[in-house]
Amino acid sequence: MIMSETDKFTEDILGTAREKAQSIIREAEAQTQHASDEAKATISRETEGIVRGARADADAVKRREVSEARHRVKLREQHEKDKIVQDVLDRVKKRMSELVADEAKYVPLLTHLIERGLEELGDTSALIHLNKVDLKRIPSLEQAVSKRVEHVKVEWSKEPIDTTGGTVISSLDGKIRIVNTLDQRFEALESKLLIEARASLFGE
Amino acid sequence: MSGIETVKVIVDAEKQAAKMIDDAMSEATAIRKRIDSLIQQQRQQMLEDAKKQAAAISARAGEEGKLEADKYEAEAVQTLRKLVDQASSKKNAAVEKLSNIIMRVE
Repeated sequence: MIMSETDKFTEDILGTAREKAQSIIREAEAQTQHASDEAKATISRETEGIVRGARADADAVKRREVSEARHRVKLREQHEKDKIVQDVLDRVKKRMSELVADEAKYVPLLTHLIERGLEELGDTSALIHLNKVDLKRIPSLEQAVSKRVEHVKVEWSKEPIDTTGGTVISSLDGKIRIVNTLDQRFEALESKLLIEARASLFGE
Repeated sequence: MSGIETVKVIVDAEKQAAKMIDDAMSEATAIRKRIDSLIQQQRQQMLEDAKKQAAAISARAGEEGKLEADKYEAEAVQTLRKLVDQASSKKNAAVEKLSNIIMRVE
């Protein structure tokens, strides 16, 4: 069958329209494909960000747990060390109170403390104060002290002082006092004792 | 075919062509709408999955961190016990040393 001119013309019109329609749909499909690809990339970045954030938070949580454990252990260690050091210091105090009962060791020490106190006072006369137990030792102390310190007129107070041991030396008018008690020595040396104790016990 | 008939045929063809293009444009709009909706759905799904994954990571981190902390603490406690034992064995020597410091009057 031979197509008429009119048929050819209408077929051209319809063919062109068909191509145009296909082109419109292809373009829409291409655009949507592109939009879909872009959206997927954006969403992927977004979700990766969420997961990455969660991982960072998780690492922080783990670090915090371990850090808190370290802190707890450190406190416990400090507590245990303090307990041991305190026990040692308590035992040193006990040793001091035992020492004052050991005449052979204590009297030379007390004599030395009195002698040093007198030197430190630097006066020609002095009043020596002792605790109740040591007041009974005055006769033997008098001899020992007078042998070592000849240039000072020494008087012995009859009023006992409250201390583990040692002495307080004062000027006769009481204005100057040199405290050489064992308690005072312990107190004065406490920071040094703590350092020494930690060094001996923990090698710090 | 008469002239009038020919014109009618051509006008019909043009109407048909215009409809084809209109239909294609409608279809294109529908395609764009479908993809927008699909993208929204995909986004929601992927975000939900990511949030679930993030929640699982967080939950696991708490447990893992606790386990790691417990392990560290257990080891540290052992070390501390040794340290306490060693220090306890040195107490007598330390008492002796500190007592000597107090008794040493220079």
